[in-house]
This record gives sequence, structure tokens and C-alpha cells, in this order.
Amino acid sequence: MVPQYGIKCAVNLITTHFGDHVAKVCECLLRKGPLTLQATVRFTELTSSQVKNCLLVLIQHNCVQAFVLEQSVEHGDAAKTNTQYIALFDNIIHRWRFTKFLTIVSQNLDKQLIENKKETNFKSGKSKANSKSINQRLTLKQMSDRAKSVQNEGDDVILDAVQEAFIKLLNAHFIERCPASEPVLTNPTKQEVSARKRAAKSAKIFEEQETLEQRVMEAAAPSEALRFLLVAQAEPAADGGKDETNSSIVTPGEKRKYDSLESETEYGAADEQVVLWRANFEEFIRRLRHKACVENVKTRLDDGAVTVLKAMLEATRSTEKKVKTDNSVPLSLNSIYEEVIKSEEGRNITFDRVRAALIQLSCPPLVKAANESYSIDFKKIIELAQNEEVESIVLKRYGRDAYRMFRLLSNSGHLLETDKIADATFVEKKETPKILYKLWKDDYLQMEKLQVTGAKRLSQFLLWKVNKNILREHVLDEMFHAALNLVQRVAFELEQEKEMLNIPRDKLLIRQRKVRLLLESAHMKLDDAIMLFHDF
Amino acid sequence: MGVSTGPQWRITKLHVQLSACQRLDAKGTLRPTLISLFTSSQPPIKTAHQSPPPCSVRATHLLPSSCRQATKSRMSAKRKRPGPASDSVVTEHEKTVHEVIRSKKDMGASQWEMKREINVADNIITKCIKSLLSKNLIKEVKSIQSRGRKHYMSAEFEPSSEITGGAWYVEGSLDTEYINVLKEQCWRKIYGMKVATLEGIADALKRSNVSQIELSKQQVEEIVKALVLDNQVMEVKSTGTGEFASIPVGKVCYKCIGKRGYGGEPKLGALASIPCGACPQISRCTPDGIISPNTCVYYQKWLEF
Repeated sequence: MVPQYGIKCAVNLITTHFGDHVAKVCECLLRKGPLTLQATVRFTELTSSQVKNCLLVLIQHNCVQAFVLEQSVEHGDAAKTNTQYIALFDNIIHRWRFTKFLTIVSQNLDKQLIENKKETNFKSGKSKANSKSINQRLTLKQMSDRAKSVQNEGDDVILDAVQEAFIKLLNAHFIERCPASEPVLTNPTKQEVSARKRAAKSAKIFEEQETLEQRVMEAAAPSEALRFLLVAQAEPAADGGKDETNSSIVTPGEKRKYDSLESETEYGAADEQVVLWRANFEEFIRRLRHKACVENVKTRLDDGAVTVLKAMLEATRSTEKKVKTDNSVPLSLNSIYEEVIKSEEGRNITFDRVRAALIQLSCPPLVKAANESYSIDFKKIIELAQNEEVESIVLKRYGRDAYRMFRLLSNSGHLLETDKIADATFVEKKETPKILYKLWKDDYLQMEKLQVTGAKRLSQFLLWKVNKNILREHVLDEMFHAALNLVQRVAFELEQEKEMLNIPRDKLLIRQRKVRLLLESAHMKLDDAIMLFHDF
Repeated sequence: MGVSTGPQWRITKLHVQLSACQRLDAKGTLRPTLISLFTSSQPPIKTAHQSPPPCSVRATHLLPSSCRQATKSRMSAKRKRPGPASDSVVTEHEKTVHEVIRSKKDMGASQWEMKREINVADNIITKCIKSLLSKNLIKEVKSIQSRGRKHYMSAEFEPSSEITGGAWYVEGSLDTEYINVLKEQCWRKIYGMKVATLEGIADALKRSNVSQIELSKQQVEEIVKALVLDNQVMEVKSTGTGEFASIPVGKVCYKCIGKRGYGGEPKLGALASIPCGACPQISRCTPDGIISPNTCVYYQKWLEF
């Protein structure tokens, strides 16, 4: 479920980038869930063409995905189909993170790539690769046009550079083929649902119910074999002119979109040959997750342990099937050692040092050892980082006594009575209920009342508990709230500066720079914490 | 120094040794060392409820408050003169009041509770209590449950931990000063040993005579667990290898956390490092409300360069 302030942040982002109408359509989809075009028009009270254009923009920027929902057939009737649109909350929020993604690319590939590639893909969403050959006109043309406007070199040189960059990005999985424009989803029949439930029950597996968004994205995604495949395709002959006509409406930085919103007759056969590319957010989030794990271990252990962890991450990254993997693929000590000595920091590390580092990493159990193999426990590292984040808030907001109480309840995982908490945390018995009540009022704790009938009188006991799942959602919402506050304050400061006419310009500029730096760096740091709770 | 068994001898001995102590680092180590002097000159105290040894008035301010209070009451009790012979006779009312108090055993009773049980006027109960106190048949005890009300107990009983609050409470209040001294000493022992079991920590504390009162294993465990809650120390299980080589596999032990010293603050989180993280009004803050990021005083302060 998307937190309330998460929706507000997303709407704020879309408003800033695309204006009020697009934001209105986006907010409608975020709050009401998937809707048809007609329903969207009804709820937003915009005209049909306005809504169409807004959806066009959102789809081109990967913020909305269209899909066709085939409704179940009864009594031999034809299946009902309608095109619906679902907002992709995660992709909207990723728009905050372009700078981080660019940093990852620059750290992993040549710096030149930054100039040639990413801005087009990120800001515009999709960049069309002509289906014919590696010198696909539209994609390379868009990139080379941009490169030409910046660099003073010959066309061939630029084309080669852009092509090389494109291939490097593809090999690193930083870009991928776009998903299908309108995948078809069928509602499972009653028998299929009950069969699935029986299978899960007998296997004693808890199956998380897939959300509709997950089902849509799964249906739309290209197969793994095709996802990062660059295939040379035939040149569109008769449609070359039309392509140019179409490409003329695409200015550098904008996208092309092929779906039912545009007239299908314009593209015809060339449509099937055209491959659309986009940034692979999954890979970027994976890299950021690994980075967060390394940062967390750095605060606990020495450089040797950090180097070994980095090596293990490097060695197992390509085998991860999904971002939120619980454990890495197991590696033997020899494999780990070979990976460690490849890196600059690990060049001089001995085999024994690697072994000692692995023992260090097992306490607390950040790395699990089994049958002479070692695997990283991502779930544990992320959980520790989340706990630290929440405990830090409790310490800052409610004080040290509350911090101890919160940690006691969080570690115990079950209900504890007030006096027991007072005894364990060395807080006065009279003060303890006041502190616990404050935490409960702000939704950091759950409370239950227990009434016990004794020999002569009724005694009431208060029991307290931390519910980690509920708390995580609550803290995430607070983080989105804080992020929105930071963004709003930046805008406020800029407006205020326009009115500060009595202050000398140079002083104003210095203050403006300091304020923006502080607010924006705080925002980026807070975004790391948001990813910790939402994406990792 | 002459040999004498009176209080004067003890005071003289303390004075000589105090000068030596004062050359030591006073920060945190003077008190433990001073406390240890009493351990060496007097037999150790088994529980907090027994009377601590007498001490020089000059030095009492360095003792834990538990010793201070008990010493004061013991010394003032010594000055009491025996009352007239007629005070030993217990009246009927006094007997009734005494029975009620005695029936409560180690929980004691307040005047209000006595009034509820026996239908006697308040002033009579007050008079009876005063008389029974002077005859040492009952005593006044501090209750953490009702600090405002006086609590009375029959002289033969010791107050239960429900009344006193437990070993860490003195006169109805938590002895935070003493607890903090013990916590720091525990941390230093663990830091010195790198990895320590509970037994190892208890032994180390005992050998260094940090506390005048001998701490039970349970009390040491309570202190160590408080350090865990403070995030100063972490609880781990021995793997039997590396730094755990001397500890049996699976045994619970303790290590100091990270690279910060005692009392160091944990790393500040992302949300906690901005005004919204510490704000108690965040749930009331809205973009256009009275409390908003544009009107926020915490933001104003944060952005003042």
C-alpha cells in the first residue's frame, strides 16, 4: 500500500515536471487505482483529449502502464476487454534519484557515457532504437544530435562514441527493452485460485498475494532472453518518410510512444520492428541496495571486513533474480579470496585475513556460513539498518529513557508489562508509563490492557509491544512527509530570496547556495532512508 | 596509630588513606576506590537493606546515596534516648492498629488503608501510629507506589521489593548515580576483556571492589543488559573461534559496540538529522497549515547561517 505522504510526494514531483493537468491525472490513478480512460475523464473533470495527452506523457516517462484486463467469460459470451491505466508509484519516485543513477553509471563506466547517454534516457523515459541495425537512426540520431550540439567533432566520431556507450550500458544492464505497451491480463478462474491455495497450503509456503501492479509489470516485461538483447532489424522502407514525420515531432529529450492513444495507421509494419529502450531502474536500485549494505557494515567493522563484503557483492550481483533478495548466492572461501584480490583495496589481503573477516562478518550474522560456503544475509543487514534509523528517531524525539524502552520492546518482540519495562531499563516506575504513553500516542508502540481479578480487587496492567510491520509503514510515511517538507522549503526559500531586495546580491547568493546545499543534501540522505524502508 | 575498636579509630584510618586516594583520577575512580576502603575495613554488606558501615562525615558525600541515607538514619537512631516505662504498655486501640499493620506483613499499610479496615477516627489512628513508632513496634518505610503517603510496617518484617522497588531503589527513588557508576565500570571491564561472559564480568567487578555491596549475578546481568539497551554493548554467542577461542561454543557473551567510547552517541539517522525528525508536531504539520515547513521555527533555526 502506498503511504499517504508518498502519494503527495509523487504528485508534487509530477506537478513540478509536467504541470497541473498531468499531476491531476496521476493523482487520480494513484488514489483510485487502475482506471479506464472514461473513468479517468469522469474523476478528473478534464476533457478526453486533455486526459489522453496527460496519459501519453505519463506513459512515455514510465510513470503509467497501460494494460488490457480480460474479464471472465460466462455462458459462452465473448470476453470483455478494456484498456486500463495503472500509476507506477516507484517509477515516479525514481525521478528524484536521477543524480544517484548517473553517479552509479559514472563510477562503473566511462565518464564520457554521462554526456552521451543517460540524460536522454532518464529524462525522456524511452529512446527509440531503430529496428534495422546497430546504426539505428532514431535512437542514435537522438543521441548524436544531442552530442553534436555539445561537442565539436565529426558525425562519425560521435556516432561511434554513442554506439559504444549504448552497448556498454546495455552490457551493464543499465538500460533494457521497454515493456509491452498493452499486455493482456486475464482474471484467474475460481478453480485456478482454489488450486493455487491448496498447493501453497500443502507445501506449507506462505505465498504473498501478488498485487495487480506486480501482475501487470510481469505481463508487460520482455522475457529475460530479450530484455538486454540488441538485435539488428530490417529498415522500414516506405515508412521512412512517415518515420521522419513522426520523428520530427520528437524533439531531443522527448519520447515516442506507440499505443492505442495514437493513430495506429501511421506506423503499420514498422511498429513491430521498432525497439524501445529505457533505463533499467531495477539494476540501479540493486546497486544502491548493495551500497547501503556496505555503508552499514562500515559503521560496525573494519576495512578488511568491508572489502570482503564488497567482493562478495560484486561476485554475486549478476545472479540476483530480484532486488529484494534475502540471501546472496553461496560462495566458497576460495572464490571469495579470488574476488577480493581483484579489487584495489583487496590486492594485498592474505587468505587468512579473508577468513578472519568472514568470522567477523558472522557476528552479528551478516554473513551466513554453511557447508564451507558463505552467503550474505541481506535481510538481516537491511533490518539492522532500519532498526537503527527508527531508534535514532526515538532517541532524538523522546530521549534516552524512551530509547532504552523502545529497544527493549523491539528486541523482545512480545508484550511486556510496565513495571517489567521500568526494571529492565532503570527508569523510575512512576515515570515509565508517561514515556510509554507518549510513544503509543505517536504510533510507535501498541498497548493492551489486562484486567486481573484478584482476591479482593481488580488489578489493571498495561502491556506494550512494538509491531515492526506497522511501525515500518508509519515511519516510511513520516519520511515521505519530511521529504515533501524539504522540497516545499526549498521552493519557499527561492521565493523569499526574490523579496530580499535590501540584502547585497553577493551575500544573497552565498546564503542561497548554502541553504540549497543543506536542504538538497538532506533530501538525498533522507531518500536513502526511504529506499531502505520501501525499495530494499 | 594506636589500636582502638571505637569509632574514632575508624575515622583516623580513613583520613590517612583518603589522602592517597586524592592523588588518583577523581573522574569516576575516586568513588569506587573510596568505596573499596570500607570493604577492606569492614565486613562486606550482603544486602542493601542491612546497615552500611559508619563513615567519616567528610567522606559521606562520596558514598552512594543508599549508604548515605542508611548511615544518617542509623546515626540518628543511635541518639534516641529510652522513653518512660509507661510507653511499653500498649492500649487497646494501639493493639488493633498494630494487628492491621502486622497482617499486611512485608507490604505494610498506609493510614488510609488502616482507616478502611478499622472503623476508628483519624486522630486516634494518628496517635496510635505515633505511639507504636516510639515503642519501635512499627517502622515507617518508603513506598514507590505511593510516595506522597506514609507507609508503615511491623518491625519484624523487611519491606518487599514491591514496596521498595527492588535492589536498585533507595528511599523510594531509583539510585541512578550508583547505577551509572556500575554501568561505566562494567563497560570498562568488557572493553578491557574484548569479549566477556557474565561470569567474567562479575568476577572482574568483584576483584576490583567497585561496589561496597556485593552484587549478585542477577544484578550484574541487569546492569549488562542495560548497557545492551543503551547500545554500548552487544550480546553475541560464542563461535569458539577467533576472539571467542577461550569461550565454549554457544555461550552468551558481550562485546563493546563499534568504534565509539563509553557514552558515545549512536550514528544519527537521516530523518533524525533534520528538524522534522525531532519534531513532536509532525502529525499536525501540513503544507498549508498553521504548522508547515514554511512557518516552522525549527527550520528557521536550522537555516540560520
